Amino acid sequence: MNHTLLKSIFSFVLFCLVVGASFAQNRVITGKVTAASDGSSMPGVNVTLKGSPTGVTTDGDGNYRISVPTGKVTLVYSFIGMLPQEVNVGNRASVNVELAENPTQLTEVVVTGYNSTQKKDILGSITSISPSKFKDIPVAGFDQALQGQAAGVQVTQSSGTPGGGVAVRIRGNTSISASNRPLFVVDGIPVMDEAISGRGFGGQNDNSLSFVNPNDIESMQVLKDASAKAIYGSRAANGVVLITTKRGKNNARTSVTVDAQRGAIDIVKKVDLLNSQELLELQREAVTNAGQDPDRRGLIAGVTDAVNTDWLDEVLRRGIYQQYQVSASGGNDKTKFYISGALRDEEGVQLNNRFTRYSGTANFDHKINQRASIGTNVLLAFTTNDRVKGDNFLDGVYSGAIKSLPWFAPYNEQGKLYGPGSPNYPGFPNFNPVAQALLPRFRTYGTKILAGMNAQYEIIKNLRLNSKISLDYNNSEEDQYESSATAIGGFLPSVGGQGYGVYITNTLYTLLNSNTLTYDVAFNEKHHLNALLGAEILQSKNRNSFATGRVFPSDDFTYINSAAVQDQAGSGFAQNGLLSGFGEFRYDFKEKYLATFTARYDGSSRFGPSRRFGFFPSFSVGWRLSEEPWMKSLTFVQDVKLRASYGYTGNERIGNFTYLGTWGASTYSGATGVSPNNLNNPFLQWERTREANVGLDASFWSGRLSVILEAYDNLTDNLLFNQPLPLTTGFGGFQGNIGNIANRGLELTISSVNIDHSGTRGLRWNTDLNLSHNQNKVVSLVDDKPLFRGYQGNGVSATNVILPGHPLGTFWGLKALGVDVATGDALYEDFNKDGRITPDDAQVIGTAQPLLIGGLTNRISWRNFDLSFFFQFTYGNKILNFANTTLVNTGADLENNQTRAALRRWQKPGDVTDVPRYVLGNTFNNFHSSRFLEDGSYLRLKNVAFGYNLPSRWLNKVKINNARLYVTGVNLWTLTAYSGADPEVSTLDGSTSAQGIDFFTLPQTRNVTVGLTIGF
Amino acid sequence: MKKNKILVGLVLSLALGSCTEILSPKPIDILADQFVLNEAKDVQTVRIGAYNAFRGMASPKVMIGDFTADFIQHNGTFTDYQELGNKQITAANGLAGALWGGVYSTVYVCNFLLEKLPTVPGVTEADRKLVTAEAKFLRGMAYFTGATTFGGIPNVTTTDVTTNRTVARASKDEIMANALKDIQESLTDLPEGSPTQGRAIFAGYATKNAARAALARYYLYTRNWTQAEQFASQVIATNRYDLVSYIDVVARDFNPESIFEMGYTAADDPGTSNFGLNNILVGRREVIPANSYITLITNRESGERSATVDIDFGKQGGGDNGWSVVKYGTPDEDNNNIVIFRLAEMYLIRAEARAQQANITGAVSDLNVLRTRAGRNLTAAQRPPMVVAGTQSEILGVIERERVYELSFEGHRWYDLVRTGRAQAVMSAFTPNWNQKYELWPIPQTEIQRNSALAGQQNPGY
Repeated sequence: MNHTLLKSIFSFVLFCLVVGASFAQNRVITGKVTAASDGSSMPGVNVTLKGSPTGVTTDGDGNYRISVPTGKVTLVYSFIGMLPQEVNVGNRASVNVELAENPTQLTEVVVTGYNSTQKKDILGSITSISPSKFKDIPVAGFDQALQGQAAGVQVTQSSGTPGGGVAVRIRGNTSISASNRPLFVVDGIPVMDEAISGRGFGGQNDNSLSFVNPNDIESMQVLKDASAKAIYGSRAANGVVLITTKRGKNNARTSVTVDAQRGAIDIVKKVDLLNSQELLELQREAVTNAGQDPDRRGLIAGVTDAVNTDWLDEVLRRGIYQQYQVSASGGNDKTKFYISGALRDEEGVQLNNRFTRYSGTANFDHKINQRASIGTNVLLAFTTNDRVKGDNFLDGVYSGAIKSLPWFAPYNEQGKLYGPGSPNYPGFPNFNPVAQALLPRFRTYGTKILAGMNAQYEIIKNLRLNSKISLDYNNSEEDQYESSATAIGGFLPSVGGQGYGVYITNTLYTLLNSNTLTYDVAFNEKHHLNALLGAEILQSKNRNSFATGRVFPSDDFTYINSAAVQDQAGSGFAQNGLLSGFGEFRYDFKEKYLATFTARYDGSSRFGPSRRFGFFPSFSVGWRLSEEPWMKSLTFVQDVKLRASYGYTGNERIGNFTYLGTWGASTYSGATGVSPNNLNNPFLQWERTREANVGLDASFWSGRLSVILEAYDNLTDNLLFNQPLPLTTGFGGFQGNIGNIANRGLELTISSVNIDHSGTRGLRWNTDLNLSHNQNKVVSLVDDKPLFRGYQGNGVSATNVILPGHPLGTFWGLKALGVDVATGDALYEDFNKDGRITPDDAQVIGTAQPLLIGGLTNRISWRNFDLSFFFQFTYGNKILNFANTTLVNTGADLENNQTRAALRRWQKPGDVTDVPRYVLGNTFNNFHSSRFLEDGSYLRLKNVAFGYNLPSRWLNKVKINNARLYVTGVNLWTLTAYSGADPEVSTLDGSTSAQGIDFFTLPQTRNVTVGLTIGF
Repeated sequence: MKKNKILVGLVLSLALGSCTEILSPKPIDILADQFVLNEAKDVQTVRIGAYNAFRGMASPKVMIGDFTADFIQHNGTFTDYQELGNKQITAANGLAGALWGGVYSTVYVCNFLLEKLPTVPGVTEADRKLVTAEAKFLRGMAYFTGATTFGGIPNVTTTDVTTNRTVARASKDEIMANALKDIQESLTDLPEGSPTQGRAIFAGYATKNAARAALARYYLYTRNWTQAEQFASQVIATNRYDLVSYIDVVARDFNPESIFEMGYTAADDPGTSNFGLNNILVGRREVIPANSYITLITNRESGERSATVDIDFGKQGGGDNGWSVVKYGTPDEDNNNIVIFRLAEMYLIRAEARAQQANITGAVSDLNVLRTRAGRNLTAAQRPPMVVAGTQSEILGVIERERVYELSFEGHRWYDLVRTGRAQAVMSAFTPNWNQKYELWPIPQTEIQRNSALAGQQNPGY
């Protein structure tokens, strides 16, 4: 298309406009445009007459009024980010239209870190997730909302604990020692993403990301390759998640939305445990097999098994979930705002477990004049988390319930809880889990303030200065008391003895100042250049303190003020900082050939003075094939773009001062001195990831079908690694930069609108599918010796290993060869062929890394109804059912209940089974082996939502703009071969080298929620 | 435009001005290496660090000494203790690493002191001599403990990490010779000390008597009876220690019997840690006294020494006999210290040395000193009978039993059985799982993996 042609078309259009306006016979059509997703009114929609330039836009309430010629006409409704609609008007005078979201959204403006660009011009690997994808799901935080929604993003909720930990991994694990969490940036502020409370709860942490209300989120972008991430330099290796909160719109009427959700929460599945009679029979057999007399041990049928308690039923309940939110937004030509307030209250399925969040947002933007504008964003959250201990704690609630012998009981005849020392539940190794749930007070108060001020100023035309000062403030106060009838408060005299009170405070805050200059210029209408330069200062500080008290007058006194002994307290302070400069240059030629260069220069306080600064460049190119003349003839093609990127990112998330050789305070007999603490390494530096990515973005049939295909090859070197040393050096290891980890993968995303009659309120069906495969491998380490991680295993060094040639999350143990048919003893592979089974026979037995993960969402709408269902799956990973070393322990001890699998045990010669014989005190049969490793693949119907938009003719009478009633179900159905309660599990919350372990972890929950959204 | 330049300049200067504060914050509550020991007042803090490191060895040594032998049965959930209860000890057992780590942390800090002390300015000659002697004493004791537990171990003579990460095993004789040299040298400059300093100082830090006691034990283990008798006699003759009522041995920190004792306060009590003695013996009761041991410790010969254990009938049931070892209490009970040497052991060493030299009368009189003490608060009918003269082997048998009554759960039993050559006989009778390989502890699995010079040097059988 040349210039002359363009000019002639333009002249023709202009001519038509003039002529049309003067000669046509006109009539008026009115109507209202609403969003198909929630029925809200849509201001600013273009309504045009097909084949003519006549057009209007809808007003603040979504109403329009257009004058058209008489006769049959077709109106075209279009809006950025929505699929355009053509409606044959006929003779109607009023036409109401619903617009559906365009899954491709090519012209949507996407935030890319410090800058923004149109979606079609992106050269990096960025996945946008719109809140419509999770608005019905009762997720606590946006990390949960990412689950299954983006290719290359693996999200694992560690347990069914409300407000608990969620592991987010983007394109695999890049680090052994440093954090593997992505960088989460909310409205430009990198936010604290870790557990904030100080005391361990047996594996399950709390989660500071659950402090942000997902309903306040406007959009989320996941940055996956170097081109997208390098602007975040030293913190970007694990990927970046950008979150933008909602803001008002200019010239929109003020709308108020009220949203209420209420539901019930149940555990997905209970472990199948033995009853008293079955367990007694099993224990008698184990004692007899050990050559002892079970009667003498007091294991007597009819006596021992007189009581039969289902402990899981005793500690679990149906929790009530509720969330209420009010938000308002609007604006005039100068000022716009969004404010919201919400209450979320979630009862855990474990007794006494509850998470409550009060949150609020206030975002304002104001245009001072043509050149200057200012804005603020404020997000406040207060949480109360009533926690219970779990997992790897003897006094855990769920873990205690699983292990408790069924012939004990929680209450005596008077309804009083049995405490430690009582013969009906003596305590140790397990403690009355009902008492452990009900008696302690483990309340964590959380506060989060995320606030920022920003100003933009256009210095000269197209040259903009953007300056921002932000704060991310997180505080937790843990108010705890364990009564004298609990394990800690009563059983252990060296700790509590007579009540045990703890108070812990932890405050972490980050101050950030970032300043950017952007310049946008075009030459000859062919060359287009966008440049960005920026500088940033970031400082994080941490203050913490704790105090404990023991020996309380009675359990009516629960605060440390009343404790007789207050002999343990402490306080601490830490800080770290980052000083950075960064830049981005984007260039395109006629939007056909595109290139971007991005780089960041970071200085971090965490590294040795000579290695303090790091440079992280990236370069990417793109070719929009669809702009080539030979492709223009293919009219079904909307857009096709090939892109490639290459660059470097880093990881600096390790402790402070690990580069410095240091001595720490130590004590002896009441005197204080110093002891060696850390070995010196002045050359300690970043972990660096080299990333290469190629991608193909294609969309067809006006965006009805879009496909994204990506392949990447990443190599992390200079691993921040606590290099182990033999203890003969006086140290266990030192922080170094050694080793490589590779991640290679493929990602496929397909979005399609299969059927679309939404313009006429008919059937609409669209599908989103994402699949990802990541291959993780430790390429090299200090040497080829195994590094042990995870739990200590019976008869082997550990449950997990880090070994070159194998992925992170590799399981270690003996290889089980089944059960000897003749003797009933376990058979293990004599790996080193020395004729004996020793720890040296342990080998790699599997990995927690899946071969394929993915998500599939289908959304169907018809008239006022909509239905969506979302499947999530993982395939090819192993789970270590470590709980079974206790629950199918082949008689190693008699203190714990067993699962139904124990009934399959070997009993007599000739029995062919996978469970060895039960012999009291025998540890050999219970050695850590592949017997405890299971296929962890699963397909889960993660979420189903069914909604009904109330007809506007009803609503208009009560001045309601839109109303939607919906029901959602979470985790309703799961297909898995895993024998434990839940395949979606990780006891060591957030661990990289020991992921995928089930050690008495509370399973996920099944939530059924009813909700109502009303817009005014 | 000018205004804009000022604005940009302002932003940049803001950024650069705070650069040092952002990127080089001062370390908090830690000391960089170069500031640790470079003036006179630093000597005291590093000296405390040496005692702290040595103290780390005390609890694993007690556990290895008593739990490897015929005193205990497993009653908990920890694999480490299950292995000890069942006598299925592996090289992955955490106690091996804990003791080994304790030995070499002590050696590291002591080597650091010995390397640095000569060059630290302003240290008085007296202080330099004293701390040098203490460092040698602690290092010698560490080597002695290492060699008697593992056999030959690496001989680490420097603080240089590069050297120390690939050190092969030296012979047991070489390590024992090092230990002897260190302890002998320390004897010269260690203070005599006095109970008037307070027992927490007198027994809490190394004295000449601590070194003499160490030498007495050393010569007992190396079967040099004359020297063993001589050093034990020297300690007894100083008259600075009293045989207190046995209940005070069980229940009181820094009682007047104590020669060298590792002090804990409430603030640094091991609490619920995996190797905290109170936690393992009283709190979790991971191990409980074996029935055969209970029979022995509660018989009349033992007398008041049965206070080592206590029974709670409420805990009886299943495999649990209800007994607990109560020698290690809580900070509140003022009973959380770990004794390294006390006077009664000197009498036992001398008795054994005398018996081996056929001085039966001397041996019997030493034994009866302890028997008398063990019946001090009992009626005549309950008092332990006095030992009467017998053959040498009879008396040695009495001494073996007397060491059980007197020293059980202070980390001696397994070492005694091994050094007297009685391990195989006694332990095989106790459990069919006993294997001669258990006369030495395995070198920690991780050490063999991390130190290439140790490859293939594991003790036989592990």
